[in-house]
Amino acid sequence: MTLLLQTLIFGCLIGGVYALMSSGFTLIFGVMDVINLAQGCLLITGAYLSWWMWQRTGLDPLLLGVLSSAALYGIGWLLYKGVVARVQRVDPGLTLVATFAVAVAGEGVIALVFGTSDRSATPSYFNTSFHLGSLSVPKAQLYACIGALVVLGGLYALLRGTFLGRAIRACASSRGGAELVGIDVERAMAQMFALGAATTGFGGAALSVLYQFLPDSQDIWIGRVLCVVVLGGLGSLPGALAGAVVLGLGEALTSTYWDVRWTTAVPYMLILAILLLRPQGLFGITLRREGARA
Amino acid sequence: MTARNRRLLRRGAPALGVLLLALVPLTGDIYYQNMLIMTFVLAVLASGWNTMAGYTGYVSLGHSAFIGIGAYTAGVASAHWGVSPFLVAPLGGVAAALVALLLSVVTRRTRGPAFVIVTFALLELLGLTVRNWTSVTGGSKGLLMPLPTWGVDIQDWPFYYTLLGLLVLAVALAAGIARTKLGIGLVAIRDDEDKAAGIGISTPAYKSLAFMASAVLVGVAGAVYGYYVSFLDPGAMFDIVLSVEAVLAALMGGRGTVWGPVLGAFILEPLSEVTNSHLGGSDAGALRLVFFGGLLLAVTLLLPRGILPQAAEWLRRRRTRGATSPVGRRLADAELPATPVMRPRAQTEDTALLRLTGVSRRFGGLVAVDDCGFEVTRGSITALIGPNGSGKTTVFNLVDGTYPVTAGRIDFDGRRIDQLGPTRRTFAGIGRTYQLPRLFPSLTVLQNVAAACGEFRPGNLLRSAVSGAEAARATELLEFVGLGDYLTARATDLSYGQRKLVELAQVLMLEPQLILLDEPCAGINPTLIRRMAALIQALNRAGQTFLIVEHDMNFVLSLSDPVVVLSRGTVIAHGAPDDISADEQVREAYLGADFALDAATAGGTA
Repeated sequence: MTLLLQTLIFGCLIGGVYALMSSGFTLIFGVMDVINLAQGCLLITGAYLSWWMWQRTGLDPLLLGVLSSAALYGIGWLLYKGVVARVQRVDPGLTLVATFAVAVAGEGVIALVFGTSDRSATPSYFNTSFHLGSLSVPKAQLYACIGALVVLGGLYALLRGTFLGRAIRACASSRGGAELVGIDVERAMAQMFALGAATTGFGGAALSVLYQFLPDSQDIWIGRVLCVVVLGGLGSLPGALAGAVVLGLGEALTSTYWDVRWTTAVPYMLILAILLLRPQGLFGITLRREGARA
Repeated sequence: MTARNRRLLRRGAPALGVLLLALVPLTGDIYYQNMLIMTFVLAVLASGWNTMAGYTGYVSLGHSAFIGIGAYTAGVASAHWGVSPFLVAPLGGVAAALVALLLSVVTRRTRGPAFVIVTFALLELLGLTVRNWTSVTGGSKGLLMPLPTWGVDIQDWPFYYTLLGLLVLAVALAAGIARTKLGIGLVAIRDDEDKAAGIGISTPAYKSLAFMASAVLVGVAGAVYGYYVSFLDPGAMFDIVLSVEAVLAALMGGRGTVWGPVLGAFILEPLSEVTNSHLGGSDAGALRLVFFGGLLLAVTLLLPRGILPQAAEWLRRRRTRGATSPVGRRLADAELPATPVMRPRAQTEDTALLRLTGVSRRFGGLVAVDDCGFEVTRGSITALIGPNGSGKTTVFNLVDGTYPVTAGRIDFDGRRIDQLGPTRRTFAGIGRTYQLPRLFPSLTVLQNVAAACGEFRPGNLLRSAVSGAEAARATELLEFVGLGDYLTARATDLSYGQRKLVELAQVLMLEPQLILLDEPCAGINPTLIRRMAALIQALNRAGQTFLIVEHDMNFVLSLSDPVVVLSRGTVIAHGAPDDISADEQVREAYLGADFALDAATAGGTA
């Protein structure tokens, strides 16, 4: 019983972090219909940035996530202007190939800059826990989860409560309509994409504390991100939170009760299972399909 | 260049290329031999990728998984039975095709992004499985293949010639598919999947076949490749970089073309060899990623259509410079050709071909169709009229299966159809045109019509769509609607009105019992309206039943009997045209109090 409870705690804590890591991907897809396969690479970039600043300054790597986010906002903006917007004008079907290309090249650049050995940030609370009776709550996981939920809450408030948020949601429901009512769609899209990239700044900071990482870890991480958004329904932010918790629990239960070697296979198995059984995702709703034109 | 010379070039150049490639090993130069072996593997992979991503529009980013599947299947089988991997290489192809079939079942209910996600998941999952399933695959330690049984003096010839043979097969397969009904069906799916389903293209079956065709030869090539490298390890066999190279080769050469992926592979692989020999040291792996990723990015940004389509476009522009296009030529107000004969169908006793009973459709809180009921009598031209937003097009969408009904039932030809999908309803005998014609922009006019299938027969898929019976029938139908001169034009080059006629011919190709026409006269000129009316009447005289939505009252009231009037999703009147135009309720809801039928413009053919 204790083992099960302990596993559930681990799963939920890590789920919160996964949710933040996937939020950018799902927002970008929801608003722009763009599958951004570079999101895993951005996440690893965020991890390296936080780790590097932590090494230099000794400040808390999670707090340094704020700076990584700012840097990734800039990278995201450049990525949109330089690649995504251009490809969308020529052939929207190729955007996923282009972002995939960015991911591959980006992995190479990261490897050239930071080398190819295992990294991880180890602040003072690394490997220590709070104890509740026989249960333990690892501090790093807890702080990362709280931080992730705060950032997610902020993102949600931004989308719901600000002009930019309204503009973005308007673009999501109809790009042409948004243009007609005077929204600078190009600008809103760029900000949206940059924002989606910036979420990986804090996500990467959490990653740098919780996991060891290499440049090619981006494969595993884009796999997890894809799993979370497929589970939650592509484009849905609350869905991403739910999907993230399901994945976190699935991985925790697999490593506790089955075999730790198969933990990395969990996201892919979940992707196949959900597409077979419920392709719209756990919480996806089937709206009037665009295909049904007059 | 004359047509004959072009044909000679088209047949002769590949034969010459194969001959030259067959001679290369005789020089004994092992460096070029190995480079070409890698090129063949990449070309087979890229060609397979192209069948799914280029023709069908479903991009796969994990296609190199089929290399791994083939290699491991053959490797394990050869170790188990103690036979040469060459002997069991076909098993690698079978395994690859089976996995492709399985994946297409997983994704059968999804569109677009799900497919790319699944292919990526497949690659990673298989890599992990092979790593963890140590007892069979040897895990990360790898699997040693048997040593070649032939002497050193013939070098790698067996690998070389087998892979060259596979490449020839791959090109033949790609070229063959492109000519069949299956092939143009795939392009139709890429252009507009919903419309494709509506003209009898069984999209799940087509996509499964395409995915299997795109995997099978890659699996065999993987088996030979695995034997060639003599050692299988999960990292190299399920390598995402190989997938990147395949995508890159196909994009660079030209997606959706037969030769593009091959050309791309022959450019890319030597380039990769050269960079490999110049990149050394600890950073070699990282530099390779930067090189391939950067090149892929450059191709998508700067040459998104690929070399071959770009060159073809350039040639076409040079050749047609100064020639006038047929578009805009006046459509002659001539006699109609003979009405095409439709295949007789077994008929039921029921006089009502289509019957809606208490049909409703809600979109959230909006009730678009509300307890709607009417019949279409066999052999009639029934009109469905009503104000904008009264639910006419929604009724069409419910009848053809675009939307499911919220309540009520729809019977067609004596059987209930409201639970069937769009393609099944097409096979049952319902054909439909759209208010804004939806033709497939990548296909010619003839192919647009030939793509339609009135019934699902597996043998039919392999029939040629560019010659033979299917093409002859499509030509006959296009001549009937008056577009016999436009067979090879792109659908997008036609005028709006002409596209409506192509769509009519497309529907006739289905040989449907009932044709639904959604505003056939909207936005077209009076000559074309008269022609449309004449076509409808000629077909009707031959026994064809129609249900027409139209706002041109003169057209409707002169052509059809009976008329059904819809308002706010409900039938408010039903009867002969004269009664309808006199009906108070209809005048108030739709026609207006001052409506009078203008005999002078009434259809013109009555």
